[in-house]
Amino acid sequence: MLRFALRNLLQSPARLVMSVGGVALAFMLVLSLDAIFLGIERQLGAYIEGSGADVFVAQSGVRNMHMASSSLGRAVVDRVAAVDGVAEAAPLAYVSTAVVQDDRQYLGYVIGLPRGARLGRPASAAEGRADVGPGEVVIDGRVADAISVGEDVTILGRSFRVVGVSRGYGSVFNSFAFVPLEAFAAYGSDAVSYVLVRAAPGTDAAALAARIEAEVPDVTATLRGEFARQEIRVIADMATDVILIMNTIGFVIGLAVMALTVYTATLARRAEYGVLKALGARTARLCRAVIAQAVATVALGLLAGIAFTLAVAWIVPRTDVQLSLALDAAAVVKAAVFAVAITALAAVLPILRIARIDPAVVFRRRIA
Amino acid sequence: MNAPTLEVTRVTKRFGTGATEVVAVRDVSLAVAPGEIVLIMGPSGSGKTTLLLMLGALLRPTAGDIRLDGLELSALPEGRLPDVRLRRFGFVFQDFNLLSALPALDNVAIVAELAGLPRRAALARARTLLTELGLGARLGSLPEQLSGGEKQRVAIARALANDPTFILADEPTANLDSRIGHEIMRLLRTVAKEQGRSIVIVSHDERIKDIADRVLWLEDGEFKRSTEMATDPVCGMRVAGPSGLTADWDGERFSFCSRGCRAEFLAAPYRFFPDSAASGPHERALREAVRLEAASPGMHG
Repeated sequence: MLRFALRNLLQSPARLVMSVGGVALAFMLVLSLDAIFLGIERQLGAYIEGSGADVFVAQSGVRNMHMASSSLGRAVVDRVAAVDGVAEAAPLAYVSTAVVQDDRQYLGYVIGLPRGARLGRPASAAEGRADVGPGEVVIDGRVADAISVGEDVTILGRSFRVVGVSRGYGSVFNSFAFVPLEAFAAYGSDAVSYVLVRAAPGTDAAALAARIEAEVPDVTATLRGEFARQEIRVIADMATDVILIMNTIGFVIGLAVMALTVYTATLARRAEYGVLKALGARTARLCRAVIAQAVATVALGLLAGIAFTLAVAWIVPRTDVQLSLALDAAAVVKAAVFAVAITALAAVLPILRIARIDPAVVFRRRIA
Repeated sequence: MNAPTLEVTRVTKRFGTGATEVVAVRDVSLAVAPGEIVLIMGPSGSGKTTLLLMLGALLRPTAGDIRLDGLELSALPEGRLPDVRLRRFGFVFQDFNLLSALPALDNVAIVAELAGLPRRAALARARTLLTELGLGARLGSLPEQLSGGEKQRVAIARALANDPTFILADEPTANLDSRIGHEIMRLLRTVAKEQGRSIVIVSHDERIKDIADRVLWLEDGEFKRSTEMATDPVCGMRVAGPSGLTADWDGERFSFCSRGCRAEFLAAPYRFFPDSAASGPHERALREAVRLEAASPGMHG
């Protein structure tokens, strides 16, 4: 019976291709969206993960950067540096604002670093240099597509000359601009946002964070990994509804394509199912044939969808689009669960139809 | 005589109720012996297909019972009927009803597999059957690549795949030309006589009479005894026998479908029995009329 099911599928290659293609596109929609968000999530944590700091010290209660405000007095930097086990403590000023050039604005994180800082600095300079002096800024690649080294931009109402372009930290949600720490002081604030801490060799980072919180009042010390996770979580939570909606759309499209495919294929074969019933095949066996067709189509669609998504994930970063896609096992498992649900639902109507076929109609030469 | 394979006792089938009730088969009895070929003929709407469906465990009678090798089909629960069909019956359809996506070999093997044979054994049996039926070179052909005669031979092979004791054939020659029709008839006769399988054929095809052991005429849901049936020598139509419109000529009584045919016959009866050795339709009709008049009753027991 399995052979019958598969032969039925292969007998109409055009219909099979359209069915598998439709299902593949639906899965591609779901998987691509997941891959885009996973890629963004990884990018969101990239700056923190690449900062070189083991512990991020912020104003009490602050555990991330995005949409957060943290203000620490300059003295906190010294107090943190004095904690046993701290090899290096560097201030970092931060504000979420726009980099402006003419009438164009690029929203992002503006990071203020002391000259020569080793913690929290740009990943690498793709163009120009990574260190900034007074009146200078290093921007990341996403902004750099529109602005070149040597041009001027306005940040918080002051003009800065672009001296370098960094790569690796920007995402569709945020870009980075690195300016001297003194630039923030020019706005009348001596405060910093975070203190980045590198632990001395052999020092347990978690124990160090606990000591910092114990010894420095009104601060929260968060391990780098947790700080990055919190950063990702804030944005991921904002995107959850979007992902849910798009997943639902993908699921409905896949279900519609499959349901239509399996149903029309079953209708087209209803006379043959009637013949098999007349010959003695039980309805359950025929239903298994229908399910086998649905499983084969959805499985092929899923594999094709994964292949398409991997292709897109390879192609997109090689274009001008500043997006990286990452397909992980969790997304594939989710798609597989979708596939099982789609298969089951798509097979329901055809199964009901088969169950209603009266084998006697084979002799009446017309099957309704 | 051998014990009957199939016994139908006073079977009636009604559809609908009250004013819309239709009695498709009325108080019919029939017994079919092993190796016997029974041909059921009759006008459209006479109840032939309904009777065939009941014989094949595809439809339950409203009254009466049907026994296959002692097993009372009409008393079996619905869930057991597919198994009975699968293991005891072979079906041959007018439209062949092959599975279009499967090659000839798989069309036959699928029934053997459904009946419980392992795949390898089912394929071997299908190959043997098809080869015996002259289709050894067409095992891999899809139905669309086969001629009508080849398709019907595949269908016969499929009907034999589950080694049934009983074969039901619904108009098996209707879609075939004369030569292929004869070939299929010969095949069915071989199946019955050499393999001892009982065959019930429902057909309008007069040619099948040549291979039938018994011809039954079903009309208005009832068997007319063969002795009551005759063929109008003018138009060739099967008609009620001596109880209907008749005329005597040359010491014999002939039956007619209408006064027109009777008048035409009486005007010049010799025209319908030319001396020529050629077998014209009227001569055949006469021979048929005579043969059926002399035939034994249509029901055993």
